[in-house]
Amino acid sequence: MATPFVAGTRGAVLHRGLVDLLGEEQVLWQKHDLQLYEYDGAVDTATPDAVVIPRDTADVANLARFCSEHNVPLVPRGAGTGLSGGAIPVEGGVVVSFARMSRILELDAANLRAVVQPGLVNLHLSTAAAPHGLYFVPDPSSQKACTIGGNVAENSGGPHTLAYGVTTNHVTGLEIVLTDGTIVRLGGKAHESEGYDLIGLFVGSEGTLGLITEITVRLSPLPEDKRTVMAAFPTMDEASEAVSAIIASGLVPSAIELMDQLATVAVEASVGAGYPLDAGAILLAEVDGPRDGLDDHRARIEELCRANGATSIRVAETALERDRLWAGRKGAFAAMGRLAPDYYVQDGVIPRTRLPDVLRRIAEVGERYGVRIANVFHAGDGNLHPLILFDGSLGPDVLRQVKAAGVEILRACLDAGGSITGEHGVGMEKNCELPLQYGPDDLAAMLHVKRAFDPAGLANPAKIFPTPSRCREFSLHAARSV
Amino acid sequence: MQLDPSDARECAAALRSAAEARQTVRVRGGGTKADPDEALPGDAVLRTRGLSGVVDHVPADLTVTVRAGTLLRDVQAALAERGQFLPLDPPHGGATIGGVIAANSNGFGTLRYGAVRDLLIGTTTALTDGTLARAGGRVVKNVAGYDLNKLLVGSLGTLGVIVEATFKVLPLPATRGASVSSATDATSAFARAGAIVRTSLRPTALVVDHERGAWRLVVAAAGEQAVVDRTLREAGGDHVADPDRLLVPLRDLLAAAAEGAVVRATIPLAAQPPFAGGVSRLDGFERLVADAGTGIVHVHLRGDDATIAASTVAAIASARVLGGSARTERVAPSLRRHFAALRTEPPGHFLMRRLKDAFDPRGILEPERSLA
Repeated sequence: MATPFVAGTRGAVLHRGLVDLLGEEQVLWQKHDLQLYEYDGAVDTATPDAVVIPRDTADVANLARFCSEHNVPLVPRGAGTGLSGGAIPVEGGVVVSFARMSRILELDAANLRAVVQPGLVNLHLSTAAAPHGLYFVPDPSSQKACTIGGNVAENSGGPHTLAYGVTTNHVTGLEIVLTDGTIVRLGGKAHESEGYDLIGLFVGSEGTLGLITEITVRLSPLPEDKRTVMAAFPTMDEASEAVSAIIASGLVPSAIELMDQLATVAVEASVGAGYPLDAGAILLAEVDGPRDGLDDHRARIEELCRANGATSIRVAETALERDRLWAGRKGAFAAMGRLAPDYYVQDGVIPRTRLPDVLRRIAEVGERYGVRIANVFHAGDGNLHPLILFDGSLGPDVLRQVKAAGVEILRACLDAGGSITGEHGVGMEKNCELPLQYGPDDLAAMLHVKRAFDPAGLANPAKIFPTPSRCREFSLHAARSV
Repeated sequence: MQLDPSDARECAAALRSAAEARQTVRVRGGGTKADPDEALPGDAVLRTRGLSGVVDHVPADLTVTVRAGTLLRDVQAALAERGQFLPLDPPHGGATIGGVIAANSNGFGTLRYGAVRDLLIGTTTALTDGTLARAGGRVVKNVAGYDLNKLLVGSLGTLGVIVEATFKVLPLPATRGASVSSATDATSAFARAGAIVRTSLRPTALVVDHERGAWRLVVAAAGEQAVVDRTLREAGGDHVADPDRLLVPLRDLLAAAAEGAVVRATIPLAAQPPFAGGVSRLDGFERLVADAGTGIVHVHLRGDDATIAASTVAAIASARVLGGSARTERVAPSLRRHFAALRTEPPGHFLMRRLKDAFDPRGILEPERSLA
């Protein structure tokens, strides 16, 4: 029988119970400790009742059993770099930090697999695999900090997932702990596993189905060589046309990124990547693979850029130059600090052919709301990242306005036949907007999955699906039954 | 009873009526995987062929949306008119798109292009409560909500009837080619395949084939002439201009094997040489075809029932010991009773059961179909 903690004494009772269960070292409960876990890479905050830092799967299972007995929510957290509030304990409960479960358990080069703990930093895996000529494909811009567990929870992408797929295409095994404490091992090193594809369901479920304690990922051969091209255009329209032309030509670059002038100026001031400041748009394209033919691909990209109005083109001649060009792109979000104290990043996806008109609509939204919007995004797969710049110190009304502008941008993406999120997740940021994309029948089918894995509703509550308390507009029957 | 819905709504309504009447339903696409012994006299058969046609193909977006009853070969023909293709090459040209998804039918192109689960970006599915549930969409990147597309791939019609699907497509490659060479044994054949897997060459097929004591390596490549040439050079052996001449027989032979049993194993890459070496010495061994880049190995066994039964058990056990799994794909009817006991519940089976009960609470869809 569930014994809920009583409000007021809840924190203290919970703390004592957790320490008895797991020991002093694994439990944080003092205010100054908890404050460190109030936020992630997004804009919302909430304080956990406690933070637990488990050492192994058994700890996680014991914790889950305890929380299930006491009806306490469990909110998994990797590095806290997420951009949709996935790690925010919006309904309180225990934040589970995987900081101590951060090892590579096995680097199995012969099978092109690695078995890792969820707290492993994304880039550490590729670094460890490099001597074997291998790497882990997903490369979010936060890859120096973000964890593989977080990547699996969010189904993360990155610039180089255009040709080789996102996280879900690179996971073959999972060990999960359900909120009732059951440990389930799914798949392994083989290409596929038996029965329904539960791994495919779990990847991208944003912590709402259970906790991940071990991951088997596919490693890929490092490309033999690369060519990186930077092209400057007078306008975003011309750059967008160049992207369409490259895609339509049959080339499959490993990355095609776009950046507008506002973003370029900030990036140059912060990183000095060498982008021309007078350009209306910067396009970054990379082709990789077998050496043979790469120069031909590069030449075709240059040609298509010129045909669509590129005013200058630069090709990285050395690895150093390539890294510098990419440093600008990967450091773009951080560079926004030069333009405004705060930014709010959206993650809508559109069919690639709709880039010019949707970018125009985003500019209109900015004008209407009186906010500056910078654009830095994965143009090759139509995944936009408009960055709405603001100053949060001016009060909550400003954030409300910024969020309203964000919703308008999402509507523009949906009107173009797209999605409200391509790689950042729905989280608590866009759960009220999910019904704009999916109707009640679609959501009802998704909720079958939620109830199958987490019937008690303790896994990262109030994420993905609209909740009646936070989403007044969308009190759908589907939402009510969460 | 036959159910022949002509659109998605009709399909959903038919399922709801069946559920209300507790009428069991078998879903049929092209019938290429249909097993006549599985349908029971009281089952209704829902045929999806009325749900056909390309809904939308946007070449510049590299996506195509089709109704699920469309034949894969018709989809390919429509795409080819615009210079594109859906990079799936399962056996059976007569399969429907819905069938390809439900049966998770893949060919040798998985190493290069990914499998059904990697190419499918959107679905609409008729459920037994009469609703139509959409998942994913028409954009190539999308993490909004749960990825129900993945749940449907390989679900064998047990959760709902897929009525429409959207896939990523690609431009047709400029050049194709293949090569075939012989190897002395399993170890050397797989070692050569493994060396190619570890390069950037990404061949469109990498197959180790073993029959009557001979080991062969078949490599196919597609794309730029320079890369195709280099791939075939590194693969060695005799070049063949049309890869289909080599690949289609390899792919369809086992799928069409009427006699004996075909075991399908999925094992870690490095486990292939010991697995292949082991099964090739089993009594009744006829042929082995390994997709060496993914570790999916088909084994054809022939002989009297007792021999086949014993060798099948041994092959499945070997796959499991080596860290993979295996099942029988084609079995002569007289052999079925031998294999009933071989069915084991995969890890997470209780979750699969809960999902089945949620999507099909009355259990009318494909009853008795194993989830494994």
